[in-house]
Amino acid sequence: MGILEDSYTLFVREMLIFKKNIAMNAVRSTIFPLLFVLLLGSFGSAPKNVPIAIVNYASGPAALRFINSIQSGNGITVLTETTQQQAMALLSEGSVAGVVVIPSGFSSGYGSDSHVYVYLDNSQPQSAAVVAAQANLAAAQFGGSAVQDPPVSVITNYAYGASSNYLSFVIGGIIVMVASFGAVFSAGFTMISDRQLGNLKAFLTTPINNFSVLISKIAYGTFQSVFSAYVGLFIGLLYGATIAAGFVGLLELIWIILLVGLGFGSLAIALATRARDQQTYALIGQTLVLPLSFLGGAFVPANLLPNFLLPVVAVDPLTYAVNAVRDIMIKGFLPITTLISTSIILLVFAMIMAGIAYLSFRDTSKQI
Amino acid sequence: MAEEYAINIDNVVKKFGDFTAVNGVSLKIKKGEIFGLLGPNGAGKSTTISMLLGLLTPTSGRIIINGTDMKNDPAEARTHIGVVTQETVVEPELTAEQNLMIFGRLYHIPKSEMEKSIEFALELSDLVQFRKVYAGTFSGGMKRRLEVSKSLMHTPDIILLDEPTTGLDVQNRTQIWNLLREINKKQGVTVLMTTQYLEEADQLCDRIGIIDHGKLIALGTPDELRKSIGLSSVIEVTADKEELQKVASIFKKVGLEPTVLNNRVTAPGGNNATKKIETLLSSLSTAKINVRNVSMHEPTIDDVFLKLTGSEARDTSGDYKGRAMVSRGR
Repeated sequence: MGILEDSYTLFVREMLIFKKNIAMNAVRSTIFPLLFVLLLGSFGSAPKNVPIAIVNYASGPAALRFINSIQSGNGITVLTETTQQQAMALLSEGSVAGVVVIPSGFSSGYGSDSHVYVYLDNSQPQSAAVVAAQANLAAAQFGGSAVQDPPVSVITNYAYGASSNYLSFVIGGIIVMVASFGAVFSAGFTMISDRQLGNLKAFLTTPINNFSVLISKIAYGTFQSVFSAYVGLFIGLLYGATIAAGFVGLLELIWIILLVGLGFGSLAIALATRARDQQTYALIGQTLVLPLSFLGGAFVPANLLPNFLLPVVAVDPLTYAVNAVRDIMIKGFLPITTLISTSIILLVFAMIMAGIAYLSFRDTSKQI
Repeated sequence: MAEEYAINIDNVVKKFGDFTAVNGVSLKIKKGEIFGLLGPNGAGKSTTISMLLGLLTPTSGRIIINGTDMKNDPAEARTHIGVVTQETVVEPELTAEQNLMIFGRLYHIPKSEMEKSIEFALELSDLVQFRKVYAGTFSGGMKRRLEVSKSLMHTPDIILLDEPTTGLDVQNRTQIWNLLREINKKQGVTVLMTTQYLEEADQLCDRIGIIDHGKLIALGTPDELRKSIGLSSVIEVTADKEELQKVASIFKKVGLEPTVLNNRVTAPGGNNATKKIETLLSSLSTAKINVRNVSMHEPTIDDVFLKLTGSEARDTSGDYKGRAMVSRGR
């Protein structure tokens, strides 16, 4: 009879209770993502200073005028002017939201090439929309009677298929957010109520290893997270989101959600073992998890946040989870190196949280 | 070597910071006896029980359960004990059967015996027909019975009960008593219980220990305790609150030593108690005091308890202090 068997018994208990309240649980897990999809799915915001790269193969004044024009206002910042190959590399790693290519024949007068090619990273649809709008605006200033330049047409290319919009962008964020919330608003509360009602004391007076209580709670938190996130994913798919990476993508998604659940399940239990009552716990939990989702880029691309927040973004595990989920759902591929590094980051986060939960459980279980 | 004692508490001290909750308690509980631990609120009862369960570690001293030192092998020691805590901890969202199944597994009852153990517990608690019913719908008494039988399903040698009948009606209380007597008689289970109901201890327990200010201040059979306070009989007068002082002064006049508590004045009857009560009655009627009830009875455990621990209400300051110390010690 090992610690795992005892943990399993306690997990079975949680699941029996879960099963009894399955209807309520399903409603709770549904309402949250549904609300966010409805609220945010149609919500578009216009980000500022969207970074783009410009590839200028022409050298005439018309090309320079076009570049000036596209930079007017504060929608766009030209990050670099470079070769097309380098620019496309920047685009695919997400450093720029768009690449504008001005072909060599651009300014040589009537009859020559009057196209501008715009490549957009539509895994960040808001930014992509700004770039497209600015390019079209700049193009519209050509061909008017006041200017002798030829009319310019913008040929837009989407990096990840043309269907991406803010909805599919935000669903990836919602799934990760729900995964982080799921544990905090379930397992943590049961930990506190078990302590207040005396269940914890009753468990600790049986011949089990005390830490099986901790393991079962973390397992239950993980389960709740995963359950909520899958419900969220299901709703998103019903609502029109797609998983561009297909079946393999779905498996990768399941894996990443599991890791997020493990980390935040442990975080929830670490908090719950310390919190004296449910109100304090809910307050701390919310103050911690909500900003982590926002800073992780669940609703707004993380690279659009103000500079002073970027260090927080860099240590927020959700940043990596959100990026990976977007790669899978929108870009359609997740490089194996990214999958590995994301997994390691999320696992390390989970281990740190489980460690904190272990230490605080060890202290508090002596004072029941 | 056959261990003579079910529980051997050897000079146990428990301190929370500067506060000493248990101050050198030694207590040997024999196999097969029903033992009652009494004490005012905050006297150190619950701390003692928590140490017996291994939830708290004594600052010094030893606790030996059935020959196993709690410190060396708490898990082994706990397999000998069934526990009924102060809080009723049946899970309302689980059925009676599921509640039993979970605890059966936590007590490491082998799978092959699980069904038998659940059946045994259901029968013991008289809940066979409610096996599939969620415990949340049970009455307080049913929950208690389920809990008591739950802590007996792994056939422990000892059962610890922390105020098992608090808040129960008379019928349910009697049912719990019968249940405890039954398992004590039939299975030889040693019972250690704390209680606030002194007549419960009197009726149920073979021996009683009274604990106060962290020390064991009395120990013996209910009869021994009654004798130990040197009372042959107790005279008790119940009257309106406003008249109690007058009653007390009349007590003094007729040569009795009054103690005023709530709406009663009591005094040891001593020799010639019948004579004294006659004088008392005539004095009371001369003084035109509206007396509700006059009685003379054998001393009860109540009288022993009050004599030993004083009649002042303790509230929960002791508990509170203990808890405050715990959180500060973190």
